[in-house]
Amino acid sequence: MEFRGYMVDMICSELEDIVGSDYVSTSKSETSVYGVDYFWVSRMWADKGMEPPRADYIVRPDSAEQVSRILKVANYYKIPVQTWGGGSGSQGGAMPMAGGILLDTKRMNRLIEIDEYSMTITAETGMIFQTLENYANEKGYSLMHYPSCLTCSTIGGALAHRGIGILSTKYGKIDDMCISMEVVLPNGDIINTLPVPKHAAGPDLNQIFIGSEGTLGIMTKATFQLFEMPEVRKHRAFLFKNIHDGFQAGRDIMQKAKPSIMRLYDEAETVSIIKKVLGVDKKGAFMNITYEGDRDIVEIEEKHILEICRKYGGEDLGSEWGEKWYENRITFFYPGNIMDVPQMYGTMDTVCTYKNVEKIYWAMKNAIESNFPGVRFIAHFSHWYQWGTMIYDRFIMDDPPSDPSEAIRLHNKIWNTGVRAAMENGGVINDHHGIGLKLGRLMKEQYGPAMQVFDALKKGLDPNGIMNPYKLGL
Amino acid sequence: MFSEKANKHADNCRFCWMCRYICPVGLQTGKETNNARAKGLLVSLVNRGQEFDESYAGTMYECCLCGACSQDCKTGFEPPIFIREARTEAIVRDVLPENVRMIADNLMEKGNLYGVSSAEIQSKLEKLLPNRPQKAGVLLYVGQTALIKAPEISEALICLLKKASVDFTVLYSEGQSGAEIGDVIGYVAETITAAKNEAAKINTIGAEKVVVLDPNVARVMKQEYPVWGCDINAEIVTATAFIAGLIADGKLSPQKIDMKEVTFHDPCKLSRDLDETEPARYILKSMGIEIKEMFLNREWTKCCGTEIVKAHSPALGALIADGRWGDAERIGAACMVTACPGCFDVMGQCVPEGMKHYDLFILLAEACGC
Repeated sequence: MEFRGYMVDMICSELEDIVGSDYVSTSKSETSVYGVDYFWVSRMWADKGMEPPRADYIVRPDSAEQVSRILKVANYYKIPVQTWGGGSGSQGGAMPMAGGILLDTKRMNRLIEIDEYSMTITAETGMIFQTLENYANEKGYSLMHYPSCLTCSTIGGALAHRGIGILSTKYGKIDDMCISMEVVLPNGDIINTLPVPKHAAGPDLNQIFIGSEGTLGIMTKATFQLFEMPEVRKHRAFLFKNIHDGFQAGRDIMQKAKPSIMRLYDEAETVSIIKKVLGVDKKGAFMNITYEGDRDIVEIEEKHILEICRKYGGEDLGSEWGEKWYENRITFFYPGNIMDVPQMYGTMDTVCTYKNVEKIYWAMKNAIESNFPGVRFIAHFSHWYQWGTMIYDRFIMDDPPSDPSEAIRLHNKIWNTGVRAAMENGGVINDHHGIGLKLGRLMKEQYGPAMQVFDALKKGLDPNGIMNPYKLGL
Repeated sequence: MFSEKANKHADNCRFCWMCRYICPVGLQTGKETNNARAKGLLVSLVNRGQEFDESYAGTMYECCLCGACSQDCKTGFEPPIFIREARTEAIVRDVLPENVRMIADNLMEKGNLYGVSSAEIQSKLEKLLPNRPQKAGVLLYVGQTALIKAPEISEALICLLKKASVDFTVLYSEGQSGAEIGDVIGYVAETITAAKNEAAKINTIGAEKVVVLDPNVARVMKQEYPVWGCDINAEIVTATAFIAGLIADGKLSPQKIDMKEVTFHDPCKLSRDLDETEPARYILKSMGIEIKEMFLNREWTKCCGTEIVKAHSPALGALIADGRWGDAERIGAACMVTACPGCFDVMGQCVPEGMKHYDLFILLAEACGC
């Protein structure tokens, strides 16, 4: 024990030597706070007063150079490094399951440059995304990345799990928005991806690290594209008889126009969440659409959208409900509106081509509702492409088992059942929340032999396996 | 023991990070414990059996109680409720960190954060207004921060009141209003007793209006005194609103001041709690000063640190103030004007090179030829 204590103190001293003693903590309050993220399991543990998974050292570096030195120390001692940005991920991706170092990036929060000519913005990845958006807004621009976690996640967090914002249908996902990055590799080398993302110089390095969830390195700087604020942003809502009609309309709209927001709610969500938050008391499938840009172009898009919705029997609810949805776009996620413990719940978001979307929706709904009595299934479809859409499907169990182990086993079973139903029908393991601890076990089923590509990357870049163990199935 | 109300708010905040982006402490330190969800989580864990140790207590003091989190919450939860109670709990359990214990002792023993004796405070007040009238229509309540840390603001304000021929006086026996002690030890018997004593002293003047220089004190007098049963038999008015009224009534006629690239920092107690954002802007306009607004302005202002944080953790106080200066620098401001003695003192400790820092009343006194 004494020898172990000596090494614990030795590692602590080395870390303090790198970042300063004010920025290394082993205190109970800090390790408690870093032991609970947005993942249902960690919340359930906290709710039951259980001991959270604790990192041995909370380390808060100030620069890529300090990150580099920390990773060199971690490699020497072969101790795990879990990267924590906002901690607001729902997949347990930041949880310090293996102890060791928890590296909080939030001190790396400097704005590096706003290039108004090239329309780009560069910042360190520990910055809260809303702060980055505020900086862009100060100059009259926007990043147009408005996820529900905009105010609480970091730039690095958005990149690490391939995040998405509500305006993605027009402006793209985070992986479309990122121009270039600085990354600290597990061996401590600091690298830069190419200055632009479109080229013919081999595979895109950005896309190797975006979505890697801290398993292949730590992103420390990123450049994103900026957008001008739209001249007009118009909102509209419709009510379809059922989701089938809504899908038809959505698919057709994507061939003619480029709305920024298009969200179709199934009948169950329409009579529950939409009624609760927006007050729309109607049966059917609620859809809200936002279109924006230059006034003349928006007018043409609006004409097409109205025509298409009319064609599929969509009742035009006017602009009021669409505006109300936009005003309340984050309200849905505040305490009192969002699911919370002691309920058991999860968002099994998937994405697929139009051909498979209804098939997957019904397969998942049937699989969940028929196998797990007392579990509700609700869904909406909120990020659309020319070729398909994503399904934001959620399960909710109001009265889960009180025993934590039993509850976790049931939780995993529900997830396996739902995600497998999606994958078997042409869906993808996850659309925009990432894999983390929650879904790692299903990655090999998703990728099959293609998983060896990720395995080789992991082995090559992180031979000691120190980076975010048990996450992403790596 | 936390109250049922505190527990309800903590349990709702413990898994919600939505207000993080507006927390002036967390944005600067990047520490995960410096946001409302962390503090809610810690309170909820204590209620579920975790030990409330000194590290928990220390975390609860790394907060300005500025109310930005409550302002942002779409479903109405208020982290200051459980953070303030956690501070009481830290005292009850005797786990106060040494740096906080020092200021708590000062407040309990001397009645102010700085350990200044009541005799010295009385002497400062006597110097401000020698031969004060015993009775007057207006009582100027200066507050201890202005008296001890920014006496030049009090002097400027007194000069303005004289210039406008206001029938006013001050209270030589000004003591503890309850504002600072309430934030350090919570709304407990000692705080309420201090507030009641102060209310009784104020009432002896028989003024119709009490003009309060420090927005933190004004907030407590306006919002907490009625709840605590401390009745002041006069209207409580902030100094900014009162002075703006004097200008509007033509009792003060400021000259134009040639200042460019000026921004105004809204004190959080004034703008968020008292819903007062325009009088200070009106005063600046009366001097011909155009304001370049920071992105976070009015009720969305970002707290600059507070006297309490500066007193127990000077480096943290400076870091928070530095964050607000950064907001001003990014919009290209060259000068920042504040309207609160605490903000003036806190922001004054780290004025960036090339920038200037002014207090609203001092500027106005200059414009009025005081």
